[in-house]
Amino acid sequence: MRPLDPRLLRRARAARWYVALTAGLGVAAAGAIVVQAFAIAHTLGPAVTAGSAGTPIGLADVAPWLGVLVGAMLCRAVIAWAQERYAQKAAAQVVAELREQVVAHTVALGPRAATPDVSPDAAADVAGHAATATLATRGLDDLEPYLVRYLPQLLLTAILTPALVLVVLGLDWVSALVCVVTLPLVPLFMWLVGVMTAGTSQRRLRTIERLGAQVLDLLAGLPTLRAFGRQTGPGARVRALGDASRRATMGTLRVAFLSGMVLELLTTLSVAIVAVGVGLRLVEGMIALVPAVAVLVLAPEVYLPLRRVGAEFHASTDGLAAAERAFAVLERPLPTPGTTPAPALAGATLVLDGVSVRAGDRGVLAPAGLTARVPLGSGRPGSGRVVALRGPSGSGKSTTALVLLGLLRPDAGRVLVETGGSRLMDLADIDPQTWWSQITWVPQRPALAPGPLRDVVADGRPVTDEALAAAARTTGLDDVVAGLPAGWDTPVGLGGTGLSVGQRQRVALTGALLDGTGDADPPPLVLLDEPTAHLDARGERVVLDTVRAWRDAGRTVVVVAHRASLLALADQVVDIASREVGLETEEAPA
Amino acid sequence: MSAADPLRRVLPMLEVRWSRVARAVLLGTLALGFSVGLAATAAWLIARASQMPPVLQLSVATVGVRAFGTGRGVWRYLERLASHDVALRGMAALRANLYDALARGPVSRVVALRRGDLLARVGADVDDVGDVVVRALIPAGVAVCLGIGSVVLVGVFLPAAGLTLLGCLLLTGVLAPWLASRAAVSVERRGAEARAEVTGRSLELLDDGQQLRVAGRLGARLTALRAADARLTRSTHDGARISGVSAAIDAGAQTLAVICSLLLGLPAVAAGTLAPVELAVVVLTPLAVFEATSTLPAAAVQLRRSREAARRLVALLPDREERPRTPGRPADGTLLTLDDVAAGWDDRAVVAGVDLTLRPGSVVALAGPSGVGKTTLLLTAAGLVPSLAGEVRAEDALFAAEDGHLFGTTVLENLRVARPDVTETDARRALAAVGLTDWLDALPRDLDSMLGPDGADVSGGERRRLLVARALLAPARVLLVDEPAEHLDAVTADALLDTLAAHARDTGSAVVVASHRLTPLGVADEVLVLGAPAPAAGGPARVVARGTHDELLRDDAGYAWSLAQEAATAPRPAAPPPVG
Repeated sequence: MRPLDPRLLRRARAARWYVALTAGLGVAAAGAIVVQAFAIAHTLGPAVTAGSAGTPIGLADVAPWLGVLVGAMLCRAVIAWAQERYAQKAAAQVVAELREQVVAHTVALGPRAATPDVSPDAAADVAGHAATATLATRGLDDLEPYLVRYLPQLLLTAILTPALVLVVLGLDWVSALVCVVTLPLVPLFMWLVGVMTAGTSQRRLRTIERLGAQVLDLLAGLPTLRAFGRQTGPGARVRALGDASRRATMGTLRVAFLSGMVLELLTTLSVAIVAVGVGLRLVEGMIALVPAVAVLVLAPEVYLPLRRVGAEFHASTDGLAAAERAFAVLERPLPTPGTTPAPALAGATLVLDGVSVRAGDRGVLAPAGLTARVPLGSGRPGSGRVVALRGPSGSGKSTTALVLLGLLRPDAGRVLVETGGSRLMDLADIDPQTWWSQITWVPQRPALAPGPLRDVVADGRPVTDEALAAAARTTGLDDVVAGLPAGWDTPVGLGGTGLSVGQRQRVALTGALLDGTGDADPPPLVLLDEPTAHLDARGERVVLDTVRAWRDAGRTVVVVAHRASLLALADQVVDIASREVGLETEEAPA
Repeated sequence: MSAADPLRRVLPMLEVRWSRVARAVLLGTLALGFSVGLAATAAWLIARASQMPPVLQLSVATVGVRAFGTGRGVWRYLERLASHDVALRGMAALRANLYDALARGPVSRVVALRRGDLLARVGADVDDVGDVVVRALIPAGVAVCLGIGSVVLVGVFLPAAGLTLLGCLLLTGVLAPWLASRAAVSVERRGAEARAEVTGRSLELLDDGQQLRVAGRLGARLTALRAADARLTRSTHDGARISGVSAAIDAGAQTLAVICSLLLGLPAVAAGTLAPVELAVVVLTPLAVFEATSTLPAAAVQLRRSREAARRLVALLPDREERPRTPGRPADGTLLTLDDVAAGWDDRAVVAGVDLTLRPGSVVALAGPSGVGKTTLLLTAAGLVPSLAGEVRAEDALFAAEDGHLFGTTVLENLRVARPDVTETDARRALAAVGLTDWLDALPRDLDSMLGPDGADVSGGERRRLLVARALLAPARVLLVDEPAEHLDAVTADALLDTLAAHARDTGSAVVVASHRLTPLGVADEVLVLGAPAPAAGGPARVVARGTHDELLRDDAGYAWSLAQEAATAPRPAAPPPVG
């Protein structure tokens, strides 16, 4: 892994100026350290020499150098202040920039974004989704220690260390030689120790993770254990697992800390060698006291950034891994959207021509070879239609809805739009924005923006109170509002917190009914994915009433139907079926 | 630390042996002491060498410099091992004590564990509390020991310089950490809201991004995310202003100590109270001392973080021990009686006025819309939640939760949670009863197959049936089963209810099932329909109708209507494949 991923600089603007700033501050820090060393040497050196000769000097004799020393102190304080101040800000900005890009890119990838192309399976889908969510919310925070602590030390090592070695070279070439010889040994030995211990550490780390997971598993199962009255036994097991985990961890640490020991040993021993060498040459009169003190002060500083880089090594691996995960998402190619403007959907016919979509790991096409013609209503009141997508669960009904929306490209077959004069257009060529503007989509789990209930329902649509009230009557939302203490002003949290599942659905249906009540024509096509979970009789009636209202208004409702009541309402039923095709790759037996 | 400090309350649960801590502090002090020793002897060596004495006079110093240079790494290594050992022991003890406390406390705390990422949080919080030892206590102890030692060393040569060194050490060891901690508080307090919003908006975009795209609202939501992130950045910015000062103090104090030593040392040399060689020691030693205090700002932040983690853990801890449940014995010939029982949480009744008597062989169904309080009533009947009013009298009753936990162990061990002496034959029979024989046959290692953590490689329907199989194996004479049919297709769901009913009648136990599906309830002796009052009226839900399935079908219009809706979706033969 490269210590600084160039993609980070390319993707995050904040990272660029931060690296530039840190490099600048690094140069300034190097200057301040050198100046400080010289100031100390030029004050202490003459004082010791004169004192030894029996003619001690006063403060006035070294006043200029003391002034320089005060200046160096202030410089170092200001540099440290600036570094800390802007590092935090830059880290927050880099995280924010990457977060927005990851989120936007994942959304643009489409509904199956979470599934990496290499392993198309349902479990990876869920896991991939959770991983992206973790990355966008907490995972990217790992970049902060990397940017705030590791990266500055890394740049300091790159700038300060060679600069200081050059200064030492000017003062005493022997000491510089010691530094030049020992410096490369540090990373070399650390690498050697790392290589020799990598295998053991990896194995042990897995053991530790497993033991930790077992403890959490017992905690998670505590309600179940209590229900069975078996909660007291596992306490001893938690203790035993903890002990086993500690022993395994200590085994890892004994090895892992070796590299730290090598680092400390080499750096402090080098400083000692420099000190002894300088001391012995002083006796021989081969070096003066002033450069000798300067070298002595500078020697630890030469190794300090390297030591800190070593200490922050974990921050680096965690941060780079987080960045790596972000780039893995960002580098997945986006599907190329069509560019042709969509034809008017009212009065058109949707033609599904042998549409098949692979469903994950099960080696199933769902839907499989779906062929159907779905004529859409003209948009005039009375010409509306209800088209039900029917099929057993897992047959690909919701997937078909995604394909009709153009969010998912079929693995085989095409979706065509037939307009007047039998002109056929492939959905893949159509500009999605112009397509979506003619569709109202109500998924199973509708998204709700936070805010007062009225704004949540309107969601940016210009609606009058009358239209709102009328729509709410259809969906039964007016009953809900009547029961709320603050009525239409009741605050709703992100994702509809504060509302029950049934209430959320009513809110979404009311909002969907309001689509196009303003100046624009209502979208001629409504896609409704009927909710399956926990819908009681009242909730079901709401869905039926809403579908009827749409049909009466002349719109075409394509509904993913799970219940007979909706099928009974349909003007056309499209049967959807899946087919097993077997897996292309033979999986190793688990 | 105040008396109400949550760390104080949690620290005993770490069972820290202070002798181990002392050992780690000693080793850490030795490691840094060797650094200081290296600086002091090197300073002495150079100053003395500049007087060009015979080389032999320097031999002790040269050996000392080399020894100090070599020893530091070794001591540091030993210290890190010692301190991590203390921390890991502490974390293990904390986990075990936490488990014990939760196992004894009220069940509501335990139920809360399942919500959200609280559980993952507990793992992280335990680690954070444990880190207080390695990252705060031991570094602070080392800094104090080393600081005192260095001040004494410098003070021996020049007492005033020792005092100025002490002052500078207090700047970096007390003021800078205090500022750093304040900065962390500021970032946290101002950032908490922004952070929650950033998380919420990110998740919303990831979960619902496709519908936002179609509805044309993606751009607006991305802008909102950017705005929330900007607020988060600003809160960091404010905190960085304070932590910047902390860093500046840390960087400047070392040089300040050198300047003070020079200002005091030069006149002392002139006055003859300080030898020139000693001046070098007094001036150069401070350069090595501040390494000990440079970790303290981070230690202060860690202390804060550990305290917050401890606060969350304390919130989980029961403030009282659950009294061992001693429900009244039911009258002879009955297994469970509810007498005008009200059930609910935190003194707020969700369901009230429930009467029920279960005899051997009774099968009772609890119907009603989701969220009406069926689960709460079952938990109360099982004695896991105290009833708010009325009386519960029960033979040992088992509550089988809808989201019961499958442990990351074998199928057999998961079933043995019900009863430790479940044999393989028992297990097979129970799995057969719930229709899992085919599933079992497909498993790689039969009953010894591992289930993933939280049963991840088990489908929703298989999971439900495993949980019912486990309940069937329990010795309890009353089974209270919550939504056994969820995630199951209608045929399997109805068969599962038949299995539970047959179990009750065959073994002379009693079964109560909560179900929002009415179709299979014909198997029950009695159906209790719970209904919530009108939203405007408020108050707890009550039993709005009861009777056998057939009676309700005849007399209760709402029941009949709901059932008709389900019947309309009754399983039909699979649709023929469309002709392509």
